[in-house]
Amino acid sequence: MIKMRLFFKLVNRDIYLVIKGASDAGAAILFYLLAIIMFPLSSGTDSSLLTTIAGGAIWMAALFASLLSLDRLFRSDFEDGYLEQIVLSGVSMELIVLSKCFAHWLTNGLPIVLLSPILSLIIGLDFQYWWILALTLLLGTPSLTLIGATPAALSCAIGKGGVLTALVLLPLMLPVLILGSGAITAEISGLGGIGHIYALSAILPISLLISPFLASKSIRLGWE
Amino acid sequence: MSNIFNFLANPSRFRIFAKSAYPYLLMIMIIFIIMGLWYGLFNSPPDYQQGETVRIMYVHVPAAWMALMVYSSMTIMSLFSLVWRHPLADTLSKSSAPIGAVFTLIALVTGSIWGKPTWGTWWVWDARLTSVFILFLIYMGHIALVRAFEDEFKGARAAAILTLFGAFNLPIIKFSVDWWNTLHQPASVIKLDGPSIHVDMMIPLILMAVGFLFFYFAFLLINVQTELNQRKLKKLFIKNLNLN
Repeated sequence: MIKMRLFFKLVNRDIYLVIKGASDAGAAILFYLLAIIMFPLSSGTDSSLLTTIAGGAIWMAALFASLLSLDRLFRSDFEDGYLEQIVLSGVSMELIVLSKCFAHWLTNGLPIVLLSPILSLIIGLDFQYWWILALTLLLGTPSLTLIGATPAALSCAIGKGGVLTALVLLPLMLPVLILGSGAITAEISGLGGIGHIYALSAILPISLLISPFLASKSIRLGWE
Repeated sequence: MSNIFNFLANPSRFRIFAKSAYPYLLMIMIIFIIMGLWYGLFNSPPDYQQGETVRIMYVHVPAAWMALMVYSSMTIMSLFSLVWRHPLADTLSKSSAPIGAVFTLIALVTGSIWGKPTWGTWWVWDARLTSVFILFLIYMGHIALVRAFEDEFKGARAAAILTLFGAFNLPIIKFSVDWWNTLHQPASVIKLDGPSIHVDMMIPLILMAVGFLFFYFAFLLINVQTELNQRKLKKLFIKNLNLN
């Protein structure tokens, strides 16, 4: 019970920082909107073409938005010594990682999911498919956060992020992107996207099990 | 068995072992690859459908096997390095990554060359090809990550964490041809009810696979030697600095 209260306190603190503008999660959402607008502007406003690429475009924008904000998921707290202090006070590293991931999803993944039905209108996805887009994003964005936690933690140990984090992160995230956008494409073509969604929802518990341990191991690596 | 592990755990002992074993491994590799190439190119029948292009298989399939094999061994070494902090496991894993990346690249390129006459296209985004391509990207990420750290021990441990994380891809690659409906053909050698490939094609395939395996061992040993020599040089350099 105390663990639970502690968890929510940690989550509250992270969300508070986002609201105050100390973290770049808000900017990542703005980037998400901008990246989606880029697609019609770059590949033509032909509506039949847009309908076919809409799902993939929104997924790609979501992936890059979470990539951008994941880069500093642990690093700013690692650099100013907050993480060290809170670990010294007896909180387990895995709990901190989970709370940070949860806060990241609430401030980055959830807005992406909530905005997706509106954005599907802008980009020309047939509105009857909004539910599958929202469902895949709802299942996929937590996995993106959890998968990204380990490389983000590794960037603490390196001391710099940027291109290297992306290089390590993107191959690990590709299965989520493939299944997520594949579900939408399969649903539109009439095959039914439910098979992809099953596989996508299997990734979430697996990454929930693995990534807290690997991420906390990576952060400890920075202190060695 | 554990005695051998303990004996070789000492880097300087391993260096001596690597130095003496390397020429034999290289010799075995050359013999097997020459025999495999001769069998594959001149002494095996052409396929009844694909004709002579089937001979690409004798490079493509062993390279793909080795790509998986090298990553599996890296995963085991990473486990050794994270759990028991085995001093050599880091070095072995670090030295394996470039070899594995090259095997993956060979598998991708030869597969592409093979795909053009038989499938009519250089590349399709089916499950097998995509998952092998992701494996290649993970290898490249591993290589970049190891070299990003100033402290090499830290870099090796970080790479070990990444290797464990990326191991999810191995079963996906192996079973991608069964789980999804792919253009790539399903497994015909390594499967439960025995190989379904004719023995005349099996012989060169096995010969090449053994040759590639010893290629990996030989080049792993030479990479490790370089790594250990570099480490020794650094130590000597620091020692001389202190003397002056």
